[in-house]
Amino acid sequence: MPMLYEIEGKQLFKENKIPVPRFRAYTDSSSISQFVEEIGSDVMMAKAQALSGGRGKAGLIKKVSSAEAEEYIQSILGRDHRGKPVEIVMLEEPLEIEKEYYLAVMLDNESGKYLIIASSRGGVDIEEVAEHYPDDIFKEYLSIWDDPFSYMFIDLGKNLGFEAKTLTSFTNIMTNMVNMAKQRDLTLVEINPLILTPDRKIIAADSKVVIDGNSDFRQANIASLKSQRDRHTELEFEADQAGISYVQLDGEIGIIAGGAGLSMATCDLLEFFGSSPANFLDVGGGADETKIEKSLEILSRQNIKGIFVNFFAGITRCDDVAQGIINASKKFEIEVPIVIRLVGTNDKEGISILEENGIKAYGEMEPAARKIIELVKGGN
Amino acid sequence: MAILLDENTKVIVQGITGKQGTFHAKSMIGYGTKVVAGVTPGKGGQEHLGVPVFDSMKEAVEATQATASVIFIPARFTYSAAMEAIDAGINLLTVITEGVPVQDSARIRQKALDNDVVMVGPNCPGLITPEASKIGIIPGKICTKGNVGIVSRSGTLTYEIIQNLTVNGFGQSTCVGLGGDPIKGIGFNECLTLFENDPQTNQIILVGEIGGTGEQQAADLVKKEITKPVYAFIAGQTAPPGKQMGHAGAIVHGKSGTAKEKMRILSEAGITTVRTSSEIPIRIKENL
Repeated sequence: MPMLYEIEGKQLFKENKIPVPRFRAYTDSSSISQFVEEIGSDVMMAKAQALSGGRGKAGLIKKVSSAEAEEYIQSILGRDHRGKPVEIVMLEEPLEIEKEYYLAVMLDNESGKYLIIASSRGGVDIEEVAEHYPDDIFKEYLSIWDDPFSYMFIDLGKNLGFEAKTLTSFTNIMTNMVNMAKQRDLTLVEINPLILTPDRKIIAADSKVVIDGNSDFRQANIASLKSQRDRHTELEFEADQAGISYVQLDGEIGIIAGGAGLSMATCDLLEFFGSSPANFLDVGGGADETKIEKSLEILSRQNIKGIFVNFFAGITRCDDVAQGIINASKKFEIEVPIVIRLVGTNDKEGISILEENGIKAYGEMEPAARKIIELVKGGN
Repeated sequence: MAILLDENTKVIVQGITGKQGTFHAKSMIGYGTKVVAGVTPGKGGQEHLGVPVFDSMKEAVEATQATASVIFIPARFTYSAAMEAIDAGINLLTVITEGVPVQDSARIRQKALDNDVVMVGPNCPGLITPEASKIGIIPGKICTKGNVGIVSRSGTLTYEIIQNLTVNGFGQSTCVGLGGDPIKGIGFNECLTLFENDPQTNQIILVGEIGGTGEQQAADLVKKEITKPVYAFIAGQTAPPGKQMGHAGAIVHGKSGTAKEKMRILSEAGITTVRTSSEIPIRIKENL
């Protein structure tokens, strides 16, 4: 679920005419005075940019005076938030709040339609609103084909209590949100809270945007945003660049598997047999030998006690898998025990490549899993 | 009988002249699938793997009366290829391609629904009716004809389960790989209903994974309408929350998407849940 930083989301909002407070990004604490001058206010919001939630509780969002801003930015830059250092702090003009709303547009998995969720109870956890005040949540589906127009959102706006000028602002924001989701391949655009100010302006005080990783090829601007690099660990990012799905876990046995389901089941089986997976790794359908080599190289940089290669090849070919393993073993030393299970497309060819190099391949998953666990535990 | 696919189903391969298309069309033909045409724009009039190639789906369907098509085409061109197939009038559309933008999948899905087309995938291994026909990439040699129907969100994990069944003497009626994307064509429930009504199928195996609500809906349907015994395996017991495990649909959101929670709900609906794929044939034997 690739998410954007709040500030990246707000930049998108701005480009799509969804009103946001004035803001600026800081990677150090210089030239704050310029921003103070621009907003003409002595207080502002300072918000650390992070992909994990719980920023408020962690003290990473704070209302500060211009005198405090510099020190505060310095204090949170580099601070760890759920395993990642804070690298960007956003300063933002403060808003006067008359009322807070909740607004979201998502591509709904069940219906395959765009789903709009809105509530006049914003600024709090929407799931709690749904539980305690279900009547205050409005849902509307939009056909995947329809272009959004302001008229479609008039009823919704009235249900939320908007009228006259604010009703027009609201229907425009809705239209722009849906258009943005469609044009930029966003699977979620959430504003919580959307704020009505005392002077009757509607402004997005927060942004939560989830992009569709499958659309990277046609959304290059979004795919290259900083958040998209930061959401991975270094090894995960490298794997991602090579087209490998890799998730770092904290167990003892490294895994290379073909297919997401089998990779997950391999993790599960190791745990079921009393060991633990060091990672999830799916080389993807139709992986060639260089991907296998790259996978082994990634694992060699992780702290593991053994490697379990598990393929039931359909679109991938076992001879490519075997060749990749051999190529890797010639380029760098695999220092831990490795057990290989290889069946499916071209398995005879794959097994003979391994045998020529003195490596035995297993035909079944469970005996192979037991073997690698035995080797790892025996080595302790 | 079996479901969705039999030895008479005429199939068109979209992208037949590409690397993946060629490899798997060959394997489908070798298995006995009636591959009657291929489509690659600009290569109409040629012959490939002994099959006529057409420039468009319309021409291919008109010439062959095929009712099914399978897509082996890069993700960025899949949307148009799928629309073309539905417009040409096919009834069963299988999209093997991985990495299709979800908005494209939603559009294909809606178009399929509007035209009563059964869509399987995207990002799926396809389907196989053993000893009759296969569409997609499931290895034929691990399958054998029998009475177990399989419906799965995974590819390779399904092969694992099929092989365990075959080795233990349980053949399959039809195996359907639904695909791992969050927005896809048919789901568990469509297949459960088809298997329930298929005289050849005596047991049904459901292979799920973390994320989404398909398993929960299947539990509801099984409680109300399915009389045949159902067995379920859920992958991703060890998955950490919030991380995507390869499949875009495989991500745990809170408690409801976890493997544990899904197994609980399935058990409550009277479904036999197992912890490893090798446990499935053991449980089936116990219940016979």
